[in-house]
Amino acid sequence: MTMNKNAKLLENLEWQGVSRRTFLKYCATLASLMALPPSAGRAMAEALAQAKRPSVIWLPFQECTGCTESITRSHSPSIEGMIFDMISLDYQETLMAAAGHQAEEALHKAMQDNMGKYVLIIDGSVATGLDGAYSCIAGRTNLEALREAAQGAAAIIALGSCAAYGGIPKAKPNPTGAVAVSDIIKDKPIVNIPGCPPIPVVITGVLAHYLTFGSLPELDKLGRPKAFYGETIHDRCYRRPFYDQGKFAKSFDDEGARKGWCLFELGCKGPVTYNACASVKWNGGASWPVEAGHGCLGCSEPDFWDAGGFYKALSMPADPLKMTAGAALAGAVAGVAITVANRAKKGAAKAAHETTTLADLEK
Amino acid sequence: MTLERIPIRVEADDLPMSGNAPAVLREIGELLHRLAEEGVGGAIDLRSLPFLPGDRVWLEERLGCGEVEISLQAGGLSTFSETRFPGVWWVVHRNPQGAVVSEQVEVTRVPDIIVADPNDVRNGLANLNDLISGLS
Ligand code: SF4
Ligand code: SF4
Repeated sequence: MTMNKNAKLLENLEWQGVSRRTFLKYCATLASLMALPPSAGRAMAEALAQAKRPSVIWLPFQECTGCTESITRSHSPSIEGMIFDMISLDYQETLMAAAGHQAEEALHKAMQDNMGKYVLIIDGSVATGLDGAYSCIAGRTNLEALREAAQGAAAIIALGSCAAYGGIPKAKPNPTGAVAVSDIIKDKPIVNIPGCPPIPVVITGVLAHYLTFGSLPELDKLGRPKAFYGETIHDRCYRRPFYDQGKFAKSFDDEGARKGWCLFELGCKGPVTYNACASVKWNGGASWPVEAGHGCLGCSEPDFWDAGGFYKALSMPADPLKMTAGAALAGAVAGVAITVANRAKKGAAKAAHETTTLADLEK
Repeated sequence: MTLERIPIRVEADDLPMSGNAPAVLREIGELLHRLAEEGVGGAIDLRSLPFLPGDRVWLEERLGCGEVEISLQAGGLSTFSETRFPGVWWVVHRNPQGAVVSEQVEVTRVPDIIVADPNDVRNGLANLNDLISGLS
C-alpha cells in the first residue's frame, strides 16, 4: 500500500477507509486529552486535514526499543496509527526495510532534502564516556550523529526517559557517561516526552499540535508538554478518596489491597510524578498500573531508577525524588484545588466556551 | 483458576463527591441560555474536570434521560444521549476496544459530528448514481 506523499492528511485517511467522522472524533478526543476546549477539536480537524506531512527522522541511541514498541503497538492501529499518516517517517531503523549503507544513504538524503525543516525524534540516552564510543551506529558515535542531525532539525523530540533525562543507562554508577539530549544540544527547541515507556498518545498530541499551530506545545520546567504532564498521577488517581480518608493498603494481599485502598505506603510515587497514566490509562484505556494494584514507579521523573526503592513509601527519609509542596500527606486536598485553577487558566476560550479559532489557541 | 475467582472488591458504598458537579450544572445552564438566545451553545469536557465518581452520578441524575439516543460507529462506538433538557447532550466516545476515550456534555441542537458533511454527501451521490446506472 503506498500513499501519495503530497496528498493532504484527510485525503490519505479517506483513501485508507478512515471516515471523516472517525477523524473528527479522533481530533475531539485528542483535544480533550490535551486539555484544549472541546471546540478546539474541530479547529484541529480542519488544520490537520489540510496539513502537509513533515519529514521525521528518528534516531535510536542507548535504548531498549521499549519506546518504539509503545508507540507502534499502541491500541488501535487505525487511530494511533494516524501518527504515521501525519508524518513522513523518512528514517527509523527498527521500522525501515533498508539496512547498512542504504539506510545511511536514506538518512543523509532525508536530512539534505528537508534541511532546517525536519522533526528529529531521539529515543535512548547519549553515551559520552570514551568520547561516546560506548554506543555507535555505522562506525559513528551517537554523540556525533546527534550533533549532525540536530543541525538541520526544526525541533527535537526526546522520546522516553532515557532521551529526556538519561534514564536507565544513566542509573548509578552510569558506566557509559549517559546524558540527556538536552545536555548536548542547546540551540534547538526540545520537547521531552518522558516515561518508561511514554504514553503513545502524547507523541501524537505533540505532533498534532505542531501541525495545527506550527509551534510546539507549552512546556513545563523539565521541557514536558503541560497538556499531558501538567498534573501528578496522584491528582487524577481514582484511589485518591482513600488517600484522603487515610485508608492505606499495608501489603499487597491484605484486606486494604482487596478493597482497592491507596498504595502510598506500598511505595506509590504518584504524588511526585507528573504523567497522564491516571486519565489516559494504558493498553487502549483498559487499565493502568495503580488500577492493576501496583504503585506508580515515578518513571516520568528524572532519576526514578535511583529514587531509593520502588516499595519504599515517599514519606520515608532519604528520597531523591523529593517531596514537593502539596504532596505530603497533609496537603492532600490542595492538589485538586490547584488542578482546577490550572485548568481554568488554560485559556479564556474555555471559560467563555466560544467557538475556538486557531488564533485563539495560539499561546 | 480464572481471574474472576480472585475476590477483589472495591468499596463503593458512599461515592465520594468533590463538590464540583453543581458548578458544572450551572455552567450547562449558561450554555443552554446562550443556545436559546443566540443559537450558539458549547461543550464541557467531563474528563478534564476533577470529578469523583459521586459527582458524575449526581450530574447524571440531575440531567436525566430525554427522547433522543444516537449511536455512531466510527473508530469505536460513540453515543449521544439527549438529556431531559432538549439541546443538552451527554456524549461518550469509545475506542475500537470499547474503552471510553472522551466524555463531554454538548449544548447544541444536533451534535456537529452527526450532520452529514457536504463533501461526504457529494461522494455518496456519486456512488449512488453508479449504483443506479448499473440497474438494468
Ligand atoms: S498515593 Fe498512589 S495509589 Fe494513592 S492516591 Fe496517590 S497515586 Fe493513587
Ligand atoms: S503509573 Fe507511574 S511508573 Fe507507571 S507508567 Fe505511569 S508514570 Fe510510569
